[in-house]
Amino acid sequence: MNGWMGTILRVDLTEKKITKVPLDKNLALKFIGGRGLNGITLYKELKPGIDPLSPENMIIFGVGPCNGTLSLASGRFNVTSKSPLTGGFGDANAGGFWGSELKYAGYDQIIIQGKAEKPVYLWIDGDKVEIRDASHLWGKDTFETNKLILKEFGDPKIKIISIGPAGENLVKFANVMSGLYRAAGRTGMGCVMGSKKLKAIVVRGDRGVKIAYPEKLQEVVLKSYDILYSDWFARKFSEEGSLCLTDIYNNTLGALTTRNSQTGVFENIDGLLSKNFDDNYRVANKGCFSCPLHCGCFWMIKEGPFAGLRWGKAEFATIVNFSTRVGISDMEVSLKAGVLCDKYGIDIITMGGVLGFAFECYEKGIISEKDTNGLKLEWGNKDAVLKLIDKIVFREGFGSVLAEGSRKAAKTIGKGSEDYAIHTKGLEHIECDPRGLQAWGLGYAVSTRGADHLRALPAFEYTISPQKAKELFGTEKAADRFSTEGKGRMVKWFEELRAFADSMEICKYVTRTGLIYPEPLIEMLNAVTGLDFTADDVYKIGERIINIEKAFNTREGFTRKDDTLPKRFLEEPLPDGPSKGHVCNLEPMLNDYYKLRGWNVENSLPTRAKLEELDLREVADELEKLGKLAS
Amino acid sequence: MKKILMIDVKKCTGCRICELVCSLSHEGECNPLKSRIRVFKIEEEGIDMPCVCQHCETPLCRDVCPVDAIVRDSDTGAIVIKEDLCVGCRACTLVCPYGAITMDTSRGVMLKCDLCSGDPKCVKFCLTNALVYERSEVIDNLRQNSAVQNFVKPVLKSREIAYQEKKEGK
Repeated sequence: MNGWMGTILRVDLTEKKITKVPLDKNLALKFIGGRGLNGITLYKELKPGIDPLSPENMIIFGVGPCNGTLSLASGRFNVTSKSPLTGGFGDANAGGFWGSELKYAGYDQIIIQGKAEKPVYLWIDGDKVEIRDASHLWGKDTFETNKLILKEFGDPKIKIISIGPAGENLVKFANVMSGLYRAAGRTGMGCVMGSKKLKAIVVRGDRGVKIAYPEKLQEVVLKSYDILYSDWFARKFSEEGSLCLTDIYNNTLGALTTRNSQTGVFENIDGLLSKNFDDNYRVANKGCFSCPLHCGCFWMIKEGPFAGLRWGKAEFATIVNFSTRVGISDMEVSLKAGVLCDKYGIDIITMGGVLGFAFECYEKGIISEKDTNGLKLEWGNKDAVLKLIDKIVFREGFGSVLAEGSRKAAKTIGKGSEDYAIHTKGLEHIECDPRGLQAWGLGYAVSTRGADHLRALPAFEYTISPQKAKELFGTEKAADRFSTEGKGRMVKWFEELRAFADSMEICKYVTRTGLIYPEPLIEMLNAVTGLDFTADDVYKIGERIINIEKAFNTREGFTRKDDTLPKRFLEEPLPDGPSKGHVCNLEPMLNDYYKLRGWNVENSLPTRAKLEELDLREVADELEKLGKLAS
Repeated sequence: MKKILMIDVKKCTGCRICELVCSLSHEGECNPLKSRIRVFKIEEEGIDMPCVCQHCETPLCRDVCPVDAIVRDSDTGAIVIKEDLCVGCRACTLVCPYGAITMDTSRGVMLKCDLCSGDPKCVKFCLTNALVYERSEVIDNLRQNSAVQNFVKPVLKSREIAYQEKKEGK
């Protein structure tokens, strides 16, 4: 087989059993790999209704056929499990260098079940796989864990994913860190690893990925570099990384989450812009495996209270979550908080959402210093932000309430605090306010993993011309970010393409603009695999993946009422800035979207006709038995 | 004129595309262990350095090879391994100052950069010019120029300030 390695690794931590099974080729053709293949595996093998932190839950790591090859950004991998944060379908993916190494070790997927008695880590040295004692690593942060493992093996080329104290302490939004700096951040995958007492997975491989057409692949890749760099946005990303978004979201769109989404513009933005970062902190630009965009960076703080602090990541989310979201205008505090989160192994976006929630509860008088163990959660209190991160990770006092995520924390706190918990299906939103970007609001609401911007990432809503919008989505209004017209179609189109790219495990920054279209992806996939995928296959496979994830959530009891947004986005108009006066007008977009998806508009349940069209008859049969198929 | 392969560590993003295209074009598969160039990372300090043969003027690897499998290509000046002669004794790895010769364990022969017969793929695919293939004299010029640029930065900065002050009428 070209592209795929052909083997799946199964590990049962309770039984301490390791087995290797061949990859089901037909399933691979229907779901490609990564997110898609993980999704169908989770759907098939997990019974509905189980506790995400019980040994019955499984955690799946997957890569696609192009990973480990010259294809663009091919170092990624996907982690999939039932989410302890949302109770629904959970997954996250990360860059770095681990996904490609897993291929070189000879595997397309690792499926882990059960629970170890004592802390363990998995050592995969090609064919040789061992469950090893990790008691010396338990309690260590991800930075120390990486250093200790590297020292233990003495080979600088081994690749590590690990959890930090957040995962060990079962903080519901703990992440999985890839190497030191890249994170599979969302939906609490690190919490699931922690529940299984699985500290890390260490991989080394010596196999190559077989390529059907080596010459063709080189040609296609060079062409893709040209397409990528012909786009101004990609050029900007290659220089500034995602930090360039702060300026766009605040100054152009007026949709930058500020003080827990009270407004979309932050008054003291200048010190938070990428220019300040470039002038004072950026040392070098860095890339993930096989990535031509190299949007990552290494930075250092040279003076002041954080002098000497240096790290290999600073994203838009890093800066904004610990600044505008809690009313701070000090980039160094954001950088420090970002380093803490990476070392502790915790999702930066949910952390920002949870902090914003707590700060607003404090402002509204719902909680006081008595509840917060003496912390004054006033907007702009830098010290409180850094201290509260520690309390959450180590579940100390009030921190333990927030460690459950904002939805559950609001239930515990009560007193109307629910209105300030900014989440969908239990997952906190990224820092782009959907009142200024209607399609993004729809994307957040219907995303199969909760309020997530990456399932759809409908970047075209503010980047294409009305003519192009008409060509792609049937109406010029689709290019108007305040209009709801054409947005159902836009979100569906993007969701399909993103699902496909996620199954190839190719980065969304690379496929953000010119490379979003199916054709370049197919050329790459066909050169690697030697198969004949078409653009139609891309849409169909993408749609199949969305439907499997939807079916998973449907089986768990999610319906249309869960596809919604916080009251604030639906009812409170933005008070100022370029999106002033707007709310997110969700209902008409949802109706359009369900119609286009072929799902029932009343309750959003999938239909037999659609599932059968996507070769998912057995899924329709199961949902019918459970009374969860649209009649 | 002989061209050489120059590494600029400051520009290397650590993406390892060079490894992939090297193994792909030489071996038809993507496998960093079969690449003639390999990037080493010091992740905690943000440093990446490609490790590749510099085709020494006095190649110790050639001199120690007991079977004369290492020769200089007269067209490109590259030091290349004749795989049919190589016995995989690793003597060359003991003397290479860059550690740039590795073993292909599947075939039992040593691997090293051959400059792709004068058109190195790694250079073609390197998007930040961390790898440059140029005549030795030009490389020297580039290096010296970059040193001078660093040296004059403070001078330019002070001129900029003076210009601003003049404009503001100070």
